[in-house]
Amino acid sequence: MGSRLRIVLVSLVIVGAIAYLILTGVKQTGLHYMTVTELAQLTRPPAEGGFRLDGRVATGTVRYDQKLPRLSFQMTDGKENIGVVYDGLMPDAFGEGREVVVEGNYSHPARTLNATKLVTKCPSKYEASGLGKDKA
Amino acid sequence: MSEIGRLAVILAFIASCYAVVSIAWGLRTSMAGPLRSGRRAVWVVCGLTLLATVILVQALTSLDFRWRYVAEHTSRDLPMMYRVSSLWAGQEGSLLLWLLILSSYGAAFLWAYRKRLDPFYDAVAMVVAAVMVFFTGLLTFVSSPFRILATAPADGNGLNPLLQDPGMMIHPPILYTGYVGFIIPFAFGIAVLLMNRTGTRWIEEVRRWTLFNWMFLGTGILMGARWAYIELGWGGYWGWDPVENASLMPWLVGTAFLHSVMVEQRRGMLKTWNVALIVLTFELSIFGTFLTRSGVLTSVHSFTESNIGPWFMGFILISSTIAAALILYRKALLESENRLDAVVSREGSFLFNNVLFVALAFATFLGTVFPVVSEAVTGSKISVSAPFFNRVNVPIALALLLLTGAGPVLSWRRATASVLKRNFLIPAFVGLLAAVIGIPLGLHGVYPVLCVFGVAFVASTIVMEFARGIQARKDVSEARGAMSVVSLVQKNKRRYGGYIVHAGMVVIFVGVLGSTVFQKESHGPLRVGEKLAIGPYALTLRGVEEKQVTNAQQTRAVLDVSRGGKSLGQARPAKAMYFKSQQPMTEIALRQTSAEDLYMILGGVNDDGSVSIQAYINPLVSFIWVGGLIMALGTIIALTDRMRLRREEKLGG
Repeated sequence: MGSRLRIVLVSLVIVGAIAYLILTGVKQTGLHYMTVTELAQLTRPPAEGGFRLDGRVATGTVRYDQKLPRLSFQMTDGKENIGVVYDGLMPDAFGEGREVVVEGNYSHPARTLNATKLVTKCPSKYEASGLGKDKA
Repeated sequence: MSEIGRLAVILAFIASCYAVVSIAWGLRTSMAGPLRSGRRAVWVVCGLTLLATVILVQALTSLDFRWRYVAEHTSRDLPMMYRVSSLWAGQEGSLLLWLLILSSYGAAFLWAYRKRLDPFYDAVAMVVAAVMVFFTGLLTFVSSPFRILATAPADGNGLNPLLQDPGMMIHPPILYTGYVGFIIPFAFGIAVLLMNRTGTRWIEEVRRWTLFNWMFLGTGILMGARWAYIELGWGGYWGWDPVENASLMPWLVGTAFLHSVMVEQRRGMLKTWNVALIVLTFELSIFGTFLTRSGVLTSVHSFTESNIGPWFMGFILISSTIAAALILYRKALLESENRLDAVVSREGSFLFNNVLFVALAFATFLGTVFPVVSEAVTGSKISVSAPFFNRVNVPIALALLLLTGAGPVLSWRRATASVLKRNFLIPAFVGLLAAVIGIPLGLHGVYPVLCVFGVAFVASTIVMEFARGIQARKDVSEARGAMSVVSLVQKNKRRYGGYIVHAGMVVIFVGVLGSTVFQKESHGPLRVGEKLAIGPYALTLRGVEEKQVTNAQQTRAVLDVSRGGKSLGQARPAKAMYFKSQQPMTEIALRQTSAEDLYMILGGVNDDGSVSIQAYINPLVSFIWVGGLIMALGTIIALTDRMRLRREEKLGG
């Protein structure tokens, strides 16, 4: 077997292995990425896979048991709501009206997402508004 | 003053355009005048950008709230050093910093080659100027830091508390020095194609520039990890966040390039591949800036969602199309001089190294943009996060670790069985031994065991290489003991510098392994006098204290820390409430030793007076930082080697 052929073969094996890792990785760890409305209006959620959800923390819905710690709140996009339960400390930038991203498993009957990850988008963006217009 | 700043940036834009046109004209007509004039214009851009930056920093430090940028990112209670660092807290200022570093690289390049009257270097300067056109254009027309408000507010919005950290003073400039620096290798690559340049001298020059940027980028990435570890307060240092990925990708491809370029130097092979890697590294740097600054992907960093996204995408599209067209156009120039003789050879190991590094970058890229890709392909958005990256990237990284041991001791062209036996028998044995010892110590799973094997294997190949080198020099060198190592490294800085970089990487692997496999966590509410046990440690709550610092109110838990019954003093994890943003900030307490970090978080004071404490034991984390220092040291040693450059100069390359 020529060395060139051998090199091509070994490279193909490597590339194939990596492709396999990527494909199975997506299949096993991929999350359905949805808005609150999309998730709330699902009649039948996909059989497997977690969810990733973008939205805002609905006002007046935050319950936080710091001792467990467990954080629960309603997430909204203005039209629909989804309950979120997160077992962990409240992130610093978390608060009512804040934009958050959660990842976790969804329980369709309870309309609740059990989050394993909760990220709060930094609020500096909407704080920056209110400065008014530029000078002409 | 803002008018002067604005004018400086506009003039810089004009000067950049002039530099491109003038040098292009000079190259076309072979006239020295336009070339000289164009080079001067690059200096002018650098000077004007410096002026603009000084003006903006002056406005930031003097808190001139008529400036939009100042009002957005500072406030009266902001300490002086963070007023300066708010230069890169927002998009406009960051772009100005980008331009400053870019034009400084342009000037440094011209200074370094000031004695070479070779139009090739003018072509390099022209490419740098073309990129400056883009950034000065952005700062002039799209995203100006010199906007003035119609009515100045009484106080500014303040700086995001996350960014009020000493690490944030230096992390972005260092990261940017790495990112932006890839402009020079890119410009070399494009200039080679434009000028149909033959010879090998430029390859060594590019290698050296790349090594320099690569060191800064790597250091910047680790500093970012360290910042996340201390400031984000979730117990970890790397979360496969899009912005982290954005800085990792150019580093990975740059690393591939630094290896494969050796094959080109030595054997005249892989030329097209190398040019493609340079281009890709630069494009990924630009893409990284785009990710950080456009907010297309959600991450803790995407605090700026703005209008510059399309401009960056356009720039990446145009510049990579031009590069690809040039590569095709100059196919003959990039013809390989040799063929690969054997799979088991130095070249072969470099080839697989490259395949793996690029695959790692590709998987990282794919994972980062996966929602966009999946929506385009299947119509539904799928997102992947840390579990995906760990699943895909960990095995690739482990394969690379094993190659780190194998590659450098394989001979060029073809490695014979006796070479393999001599070089690998002992390291393989040491690796196996380490794995066998490691398993009863609590190593579970294939990857951790493989990692321990790899670490021991690579470490022993490096030690053997040093030992062999010292042995070989025994007759010619007087030095003994530790001095013999120094003298060996001095003899061939490039080679042994490389080994030191590898050793640093091995140390980082140890740190990552330790902190992921052996991490312990414990949490609970504590009343005064109660204990939280974690591993050999016990944390006893002594009380809660309030303290006011410059711009925040701190609530601190006072903990007595003991290990195995022996008192280690007190720790004070805190929550700070910043007056300006009314946002709490977790300020962890960290007890670092070389063996393990004790990482303490204050969750908060509960209604019933108890205090929620969360603690982690992160073993071997310090190895990650030390490994980074070793890598930087090795890179510096390799950079001081000018032998090869001189030799190629003599050859007239």
